[in-house]
Amino acid sequence: MASSPPDRKRRLLEALPDQPEFVATLDLVWRQAQSSFPGARLGEWLEACHVLAESDVGRDCVVSYVRSAPAIASAAGADAALSIARMVSETATRAGDRAAASLAMVAPRAARRLANGAAFAEWLRVIKIVVAAAPESVTPLLDRSESLLQELGVQGFEAWVLDGVRQGATDPQKRLAFFTRRDQPTLRTASREEDEVSLSDVERQLKAFVMALWHMAPPIRDLPSGAPDRPRRASFAGGIVRLPSSFRGQSRDEASLLYRAAIAHVAAHLQFSRTKFAIGSPKPLQVALISLVEDARVEHLAMRRFPGLGRLWRPFHIATPSGALTAPALMARLARALIDPGYADDNGWIQKGQEMFFAEETRWEDPGISRSIGGLLGNDLGQMRVQFNARTYSVEPAYRDDNQGLWAFDDVSAPVDEQETIFESVRFEREDDAEQPDRERETPEDAADGQEANRAALVEVDAEVGIPVARYPEWDFLIGRERPEWATLVEYEASEGQADAVEDILHRYPVLEQRITKLVRSAKVSRPQRLRRQQEGDRLDLDACIGVAIDQRLGDAPDPRIYARLERRFRDLSVLLLLDVSQSTNDIVPGAGRKVIELEREATALLAHAMAGLGDPFAIHAFCSDTRADVRYYRLKAFDAPYDAAAKRHLAGISGGFSTRMGAALRHAGRELSTRMSYRRLLLIISDGEPSDVDVADRRYLVEDARHAVKSMARLGVDVFCVGLDAGGDNYLTRIFGRRNVLQIDRVERLPEKLSMLYFRLLGS
Amino acid sequence: MDLRHYVIAHEPYYRAAADEVDLFQAAYADRMPMMLKGPTGSGKTRFVEHLAWKLGKPLITVACHEDMTASDLVGRFLLDAQGTLWHDGPLTLAVRHGAICYLDEIVEARQDTTVVIHPLTDDRRILPLEKKGEVIHAHPDFQLVISYNPGYQSVLKDLKESTKQRFGAIQFDYPPPEVEAEIIAHEARVDRNLAQQLVGIAERSRNLKGHGLEEGASTRMLIQAGRLVARGASLQAACRTALVLPITDDEDIRAALTAAISACL
Repeated sequence: MASSPPDRKRRLLEALPDQPEFVATLDLVWRQAQSSFPGARLGEWLEACHVLAESDVGRDCVVSYVRSAPAIASAAGADAALSIARMVSETATRAGDRAAASLAMVAPRAARRLANGAAFAEWLRVIKIVVAAAPESVTPLLDRSESLLQELGVQGFEAWVLDGVRQGATDPQKRLAFFTRRDQPTLRTASREEDEVSLSDVERQLKAFVMALWHMAPPIRDLPSGAPDRPRRASFAGGIVRLPSSFRGQSRDEASLLYRAAIAHVAAHLQFSRTKFAIGSPKPLQVALISLVEDARVEHLAMRRFPGLGRLWRPFHIATPSGALTAPALMARLARALIDPGYADDNGWIQKGQEMFFAEETRWEDPGISRSIGGLLGNDLGQMRVQFNARTYSVEPAYRDDNQGLWAFDDVSAPVDEQETIFESVRFEREDDAEQPDRERETPEDAADGQEANRAALVEVDAEVGIPVARYPEWDFLIGRERPEWATLVEYEASEGQADAVEDILHRYPVLEQRITKLVRSAKVSRPQRLRRQQEGDRLDLDACIGVAIDQRLGDAPDPRIYARLERRFRDLSVLLLLDVSQSTNDIVPGAGRKVIELEREATALLAHAMAGLGDPFAIHAFCSDTRADVRYYRLKAFDAPYDAAAKRHLAGISGGFSTRMGAALRHAGRELSTRMSYRRLLLIISDGEPSDVDVADRRYLVEDARHAVKSMARLGVDVFCVGLDAGGDNYLTRIFGRRNVLQIDRVERLPEKLSMLYFRLLGS
Repeated sequence: MDLRHYVIAHEPYYRAAADEVDLFQAAYADRMPMMLKGPTGSGKTRFVEHLAWKLGKPLITVACHEDMTASDLVGRFLLDAQGTLWHDGPLTLAVRHGAICYLDEIVEARQDTTVVIHPLTDDRRILPLEKKGEVIHAHPDFQLVISYNPGYQSVLKDLKESTKQRFGAIQFDYPPPEVEAEIIAHEARVDRNLAQQLVGIAERSRNLKGHGLEEGASTRMLIQAGRLVARGASLQAACRTALVLPITDDEDIRAALTAAISACL
């Protein structure tokens, strides 16, 4: 009973006499629809329109859909246009007509931007999730959808949106705030495309490069995002080298070269621009030109030592002797003329600059020439009445820095301090304020979670300043990828308790203490060694056999010990004990009548005593977390520190608070452990509960992340075992660590038998 | 048994960086055991060869490894058709017949092995052959020289205090740039300019020691790079082959080093 599309259309229009707008719109797009819906699809589309028009979806939505559908179909295919019809009706039901109308209007633009059916389907899937999980946020999200897609691409869009949904899982206001906020710190990390080179990809290489060239290790940091209308430039003001977190629109190789050129340029400044110019009287134009000459001066000095740097820098100078006589264009040409002696320019001002600069070749060591030549050129350029806008000016070419570091502004600290910090490699990094809003936002909710009592106890810890030491990625099982630099690990000073408390534990369990010591001693975790001249063994010892033959000929009684065997004789094992000190460790262990944290302390004290007595290298760290911006990490005892009163005080001083973001802590501990020179490296995490954090509502997310972290430990050559102190926690602990690697105990008395299992597994695997 | 095969016939090239040749000769005059310390490829072995030639003594070199037993140094009984036959190990050979015995990378050997040299390195100068029931009094020409590189071995591997204190020591390091260039120019038969460039490149690599590299490029590596150039390779290719690829498997460090080398050219 197939009828031709025009018939279908006619019947459709007749069926809806009360919808004149619909009719008019359909007529309007009819020609376009005929070309974008091939063959039978046109009929299907009319059917979909009909269904939509007769549903209780608002008229505006239907009209919007009819108007957009042909455009969607031509950009992303007929299927996409048809699925939008279903989506519009679903959205209208769940999120209201306004959201549905937005969807119909935004969809064609998204389809055009994504330009293929698969990507559009991805986008639609994400919108669908938002419609289901966060209906109030659909409209604001759709309004921003196009710019977000432009900035992030569809994958980044997905990552960002899912993060928003998760962060505000139970709180519509919070979700709405997330989706309407403009200056998203999260956008920065989500915005990394897979094939883009970011600073973190090349940072290590750049550091090694500067170290190789100049034997110095300036701290390198991300450049905080500045005004969007100006291209971003490197900077070394304040003793810290800041580089853009990525160079947009550059291919991988180009971006790597650009980073390299930028760091080489900054290094040349650090090497040769030792004193700063006093800002004094020069006008902005002169400041720019003095800086430009100074750039050329330090580059030439650097090239005297490393001529190859010229090949690195010169290709970025692409100014040619033509084009408009604007200040930026002339300055780009001057920059080229000063670094490239072979470059000839017909402009008199540039020729003059080139001549003056190269005439002073013997005096290049003196930064004063930058000031005099730059000042003169600035005057000349000023008299040429060319436009110069200091606010929009950005240094060209892109590898050069913004020159802020060259000038001593009145309010910055003394240059002497800065020089010192430049040449110090700073291990701890103070965090930029970028993450701050996140934390502030979370704080009220903490209190709402009924943790007030705990808060009071933790004021003291809070007052101490933690030092952010690293950012770790987090595995997101929903998107099947790692979110880069997601969790910030902050190290705090461990608080102190009474060392006696730890001693008491040993006194309380004397038998247990001996058993554990004996157990640890008997665990021979090391490379096997060949033992020769044994009574028994798995192979003959050739030397011994010769000895027997000799003895026989001499008529002596031969030595019967003619075997050799392999045996593990020593223990070559580094152990890192990682304690979970989250709020839940204040709970009572079911059946034991003791707090989890007490049990943790006892187990740790017993083990530490045994290991210290046997001289095994071990460390005790602890962690808890307060959102991903503040994964708290305490070093109770470091590997190279003795297990002395200080370590015991730290162990006695642990108290439970905050949440359990296990993945980041595992990664941090694993990274440290992986540098130990041992035959085996054991990360023993003592935890009571499921990973959780206040900014994560999805229970599975942190479990999966921890599981992923454990897997990555294996690649680092670290064995991870978990001592679970909660009999009920079997499921997720098994999920995270694997069935063989979880030891459940509910009484410290059971520690020895569980430990022997652990050592046995260490040897067996 | 004569040690003719162990005598060095032609002068091995050695360019003294300081007074080490005189010092060693003084030590030899008194048969003082000597320890040569320094990074790999800094000329320790060449130095011993040069001195052995200069003193006209045979040189017996043993490369130590971690499975080496005392028998490997001292000797052992073997069986033959008639019965047992004692076979002198390299150390015994040197002690008996008067050679300079050079134990290369001594810390690699197990600690129970190294104690056999104790009676040889104090004023007794004897080597008891326990198995054979013989005590050898060292030949007047015998001298013991060991080498070791304190840098890259882990803390687990170190000489016993009682072993260390028996030796005089000479520290080897990469020579000053001028001298190193001279050495490279001579050994690789390249001109001074190229040699100086190579020394400049080596400094880049040595800057990275402890910052990604275990050890910077040694003089030996530079000579190898120079030899490749002398055979017609381009300097870039030679540096990559001889200085970058062998030294690290780390992509980042490799890229940084390549970039730094390219900045020098």
